[in-house]
Amino acid sequence: MKTLITPNLIKFTLATLVLTVMFRIGLSTSITNQILVAIIMSAVVYAILMWLNGYYFGKKEHEYLPIYDIGFRFHLATFFGHNIISIFWFLFGFESKYENIKTVYLTALIWSVFLITHLILYLFARKTSIKNLNKDDLFE
Amino acid sequence: MTKDILLDLLSSWEETYKKGQLTLWIFLALKDGQKYVDEIKEFIETKSQNTISCEEQSLYRNLRKYEHIDVVSFENKKGNKGPDRKYYFLTKMGNELLEIFIERNIKLFFSNEINNLLKK
Repeated sequence: MKTLITPNLIKFTLATLVLTVMFRIGLSTSITNQILVAIIMSAVVYAILMWLNGYYFGKKEHEYLPIYDIGFRFHLATFFGHNIISIFWFLFGFESKYENIKTVYLTALIWSVFLITHLILYLFARKTSIKNLNKDDLFE
Repeated sequence: MTKDILLDLLSSWEETYKKGQLTLWIFLALKDGQKYVDEIKEFIETKSQNTISCEEQSLYRNLRKYEHIDVVSFENKKGNKGPDRKYYFLTKMGNELLEIFIERNIKLFFSNEINNLLKK
């Protein structure tokens, strides 16, 4: 387990939490003020920053030790990071009056289908690994 | 013209041939005794008569993988100056792995038949 929870994954998760809080602020503010362009921009900027977050820490992770998980650990961290922040956003009452927590649950439900599919693919990939490293990439 | 093609072919063959050799050279360097990365690099370049070159980053990356799969380990020792150095060595499993690899893939080149062919 210690092998799978690496410093780069922890940094990625922390960055995800910060970016999700920023996204939630942007989204709720835009919805409250009913500015459609700002709503779309919040989502687009969040998507771009999350992609850069994954690219940066994923690359560093691969350069340090190429754990063969086909991106599943980072996906799982994103899933939990995004949804936990979103649920707490509503629990603390920071949401816009036009937002409904059911949207968060529905998003998590649909997302979990993709997450489970990714988990199955990851479990298949593990069969071709030795101690979480790709057999074909072990020796040079 | 033929000489140019010959050199191109040789270069292409050598490139492919060397690709799988870095692990063997790292393991041989460590079989020779505990070493830190600069010493491993120097060993490989000297003993391979500069036919194998390796970047430090590549060595570190490989050593981390070997350490992860328990065939290589290290201990910190004082360097001449500056911080402690990581001295790498082959673990028991690493030694066994190298021994079996040599037995199955290298020693056949020392058989009389192959040796004679090489000398021909």
